[in-house]
Amino acid sequence: MRMVGKGIALLGSCALAWAMVVATASAQSPEGHGIAGFWSMSFGPTPPRRSPTPTESELMAYFPDDAIVLADAGSTEFPPGDYGGLAVRDSLREAAKSYDPQVQTTVSLTCRPPGLIYSMQGPFPIEIFEGHDLIVVKLEYFDLVRVIFMNETQHPDDWPHSHTGHSIGRWDGDTLVVDTVKLTSGTLFNNGVDHTQDVRLVERFRLADPNTLVVTQQFEDPGSFEGTAARVVSFVRGQDHVYPYDCDPAYGLAIDSRQGPEAVRRP
Amino acid sequence: MNKTPMRSSLFVLLVLAATAALAHHSAPVFYKVQERVTVSGTVTEFRFANPHAILKFEVAGENGETQQWTAETTSPSILRRRGWSQDSFKPGERITLEGMPSVDGSYLMRITRAFREDGTEIGVPRGTDN
Repeated sequence: MRMVGKGIALLGSCALAWAMVVATASAQSPEGHGIAGFWSMSFGPTPPRRSPTPTESELMAYFPDDAIVLADAGSTEFPPGDYGGLAVRDSLREAAKSYDPQVQTTVSLTCRPPGLIYSMQGPFPIEIFEGHDLIVVKLEYFDLVRVIFMNETQHPDDWPHSHTGHSIGRWDGDTLVVDTVKLTSGTLFNNGVDHTQDVRLVERFRLADPNTLVVTQQFEDPGSFEGTAARVVSFVRGQDHVYPYDCDPAYGLAIDSRQGPEAVRRP
Repeated sequence: MNKTPMRSSLFVLLVLAATAALAHHSAPVFYKVQERVTVSGTVTEFRFANPHAILKFEVAGENGETQQWTAETTSPSILRRRGWSQDSFKPGERITLEGMPSVDGSYLMRITRAFREDGTEIGVPRGTDN
């Protein structure tokens, strides 16, 4: 009974803490910057596949001169062996040659979220809640929830690595600048190359107009590639909320149980 | 769309290449993304859950045998916004599906469009305004 009582108390504390977070973040703060709301990926080409818009140009000016701007943002991806010109470590290139993407549909991996950097430029919508001391970015993709601490200036050394890492943010005029570390090793390219848990991501969020949000990524990870990688992503405002993803790992079993005389079984 | 239900039909169309949208759980791993098949059958099971919904259905083969087919969709999160739901298919219902054939020739396909027996399309087609 004593254990049960402690459990209930702990559960209550967690619920209260989450309610406080939601209460803080669920509304645009009075001095908000207009980024709160529902945003869908703009599926058209993004730089470098086309010329940048003025807002994109302004944000891309923050990229280091030698940054590689990847041409895989949005609904396109590089085929096996293509890393968009990024100097990926030889050992990772070699390992990627034997990568079998069918592993993504195994029961143990079907519902494992891809890396955050990859997920933030994927085809699913996001919803932003802007508070004063924190900003919450809820991704529909795999139910990822990011908390961006606006009232912190340093990453805690003892913060555990996770799919969403630890993010601190600040407003630079009309641009939200977010610095994220403590990400678990995750998808760099969806063709067998992952980044390490030492990756560092810097994002800039800026409204091009009330209904267009431009987000740039720049990230460095000496353990997996040289220099700086960058992406430009564009979102369009919608009147909606992100839905629960509620991933079902049995999806892979359904694929595995396909029939037919020529069905190829997973070893 | 006015379609005549097919007892056992399998048409393969070569479609001009549109840029294949790859993603986690990439379609090209299991499907020929630039080809299309049309298959008609009877629904036995429908599970509407992420990352991809699964539809099981039976198809009468040319030799009278019953083929057990599996079809998957894109993410239900996306399909909900196109009018799909967990009630889009009922067991026993006759349906016709268009989609990508499997790479390995198995009775597996990826749905791009779905129709009821009377030709009514299920959900709102991608690229339409409503």
